[in-house]
Amino acid sequence: MNTHISSAYDRDLDAIQTLVIKMAGLVEEAIMSAAKSLEMRDTDLADRVRAGDKVIDALELQINEEAARVIALRAPVSKDLRAILTVLRIAASLERIGDYAKNMAKRTGTLVDMPVIAGSDAALRRMAREVQAMLKDILDAYLRGDVALAEDVRQRDHEIDQMYNALFREFLTFMMEDPRNITTCMHLHFMAKNVERMGDLVTNMAEQVIYLVTGEMPEEARPKGDKTAYVTDAT
Amino acid sequence: MKDTNMQNPKISAKGVQVYYGDNQAIKDVNVEIADKTVTAFIGPSGCGKSTFLRCLNRMNDTIDICRVTGEILIDGEDIYDAKVDPVQLRAKVGMVFQKPNPFPKSIYDNVAYGPKIHGLARNKAELDEIVEKSLRKAALWNEAKDRLDKPGTGLSGGQQQRLCIARAIATAPEILLMDEPCSALDPIATAQVEELIDELRQSYSVVIVTHSMQQAARVSQKTAFFHLGSLVEYDDTDKIFTNPQDPRTESYISGRIG
Repeated sequence: MNTHISSAYDRDLDAIQTLVIKMAGLVEEAIMSAAKSLEMRDTDLADRVRAGDKVIDALELQINEEAARVIALRAPVSKDLRAILTVLRIAASLERIGDYAKNMAKRTGTLVDMPVIAGSDAALRRMAREVQAMLKDILDAYLRGDVALAEDVRQRDHEIDQMYNALFREFLTFMMEDPRNITTCMHLHFMAKNVERMGDLVTNMAEQVIYLVTGEMPEEARPKGDKTAYVTDAT
Repeated sequence: MKDTNMQNPKISAKGVQVYYGDNQAIKDVNVEIADKTVTAFIGPSGCGKSTFLRCLNRMNDTIDICRVTGEILIDGEDIYDAKVDPVQLRAKVGMVFQKPNPFPKSIYDNVAYGPKIHGLARNKAELDEIVEKSLRKAALWNEAKDRLDKPGTGLSGGQQQRLCIARAIATAPEILLMDEPCSALDPIATAQVEELIDELRQSYSVVIVTHSMQQAARVSQKTAFFHLGSLVEYDDTDKIFTNPQDPRTESYISGRIG
C-alpha cells in the first residue's frame, strides 16, 4: 500500500495500530496468567491479572478516541475506512477477552481453598494456551494482511469448542459422583466457558481481518462445535 | 472493468474518443448513465471528466480544435447525428457551471429567458408559472419572490448558483450536467445545493463533476473514476468508497501517492 500524500495521516494510523498491538500483548499475557494462577494456586498472580485489566480497558478507550479523531479529521474511505472499523472491533474483542481473563482470575481466588478436580487445571491451561496461540496468529494475520492465516484461525475455534465439550462432560460426571464437588465444578465450568467465549471472540477478530483485506465478510459458515446445549446427562 | 450495462440507460456512451488537436483527452470511454440518478464523475485535474461531461450536451462543439468520435445516445438517439440541433439538445440537457454566471438581468428574466426563446410559454401567466415553479424547485422561491425584478447578480453566491439551477430547469430538461457546482460556495450554500441535487434526482438524470470526494459520496448513487482520459472504474458510490476494485481508484480516493 502506498503512503498517503499527507504523512501525518499515515502517522495517525500507525499510532493506532501500535496501541492495538500493545493491547493484544497484554491480553495474551492475561489469558496465560489466569490459567497459570489456577494451576499453581497462585493468588498473587490472580490479583495481578485482575489489576491488569484496568490497563487493558484504558487502552481500548484510548484506541476508540484516536479512531474517532481520525474519522472526524480525515474522513477515511476505502481501505483506510476498513482499517479504522477493524481497529474498533478488534479493540472491543480484546477488551472482552481481557474481562474473561479477569473473571477467571477472580474464581481462582475462590478455588484455592477447595478440593482439586483431577486433570481439570491442566486441561483448562491447554485450552487457554490454544486460545492464546490463536490470538497471537490472528495478530500476525492482521499485521500482514494474511487472509489464509485468518481463515485457519477461524477454523481452529472448532478445537476449542471440542475441548470445552469434553470438560463440560467431565465436570458433570464429577458433580454426579459427589455433590460436594458441585461448587468447585461450577466455578471451573465458568472458567472453561470463559475460555470458550474467548475463542469465539478471536474468531470474530479473524472475520474482521478477512473483511479488512478483502472488503467482504466471510460468508461460508464455520462448523459450530459447542454441543453442550443438547446434553442431558454425563454419558 | 465491471460490466456497466444497465436496463434503459438515459445516456449511453460507446467508444467515445475526444481530441483537442493532436492531443487525445478521452480514450475509449464506454458508460451508461441511469435516469433519476445522480452520477458523479471524479478524478484528478486533467483526467478528462469535464471534457466528457461537456460531450453530453455538445458544449465541446464550441471549441474549434475539439473532435469527438464514437457514439453518445440519449434515450437511444445519437446526439451527434447531423439532424440534431445543438440548441434544442442543450434545452433538454441543461448545464450548471463552476462559477455562478447569472445573466446581467433581473432574477425573473434570468429564469424566463430559456422558456421564452424556446417558446415554452404562450402568455405571461404561463411564463410566471414556469418561473415560480423553477425557482421553487431550485429552493430559491422564498428568498427571491419579493425581489424578482432585482438583478440576479445582487444575490449571494449560493443564491446565484441556485438561480443558475432554476434557469437550467426552466426549459424542462431531462438531464442536468453540473461542473463543480459548489466549488465557489461556502459550506452552508454547498449543503443547500447538495440538498437540492438530491431533490432534483426525483425528476432528472443528474451528472455532476466534483473535486470533492466527500461531495461525490454524499450526493451520488453512482460514481465514475476517470484517470488520464480513461474511465477506470464505474460502480455504485458506496462500493467505490468502501471497496474499490482498481488500485488507482483506491489511491485517488484515499489520498495516496498513486
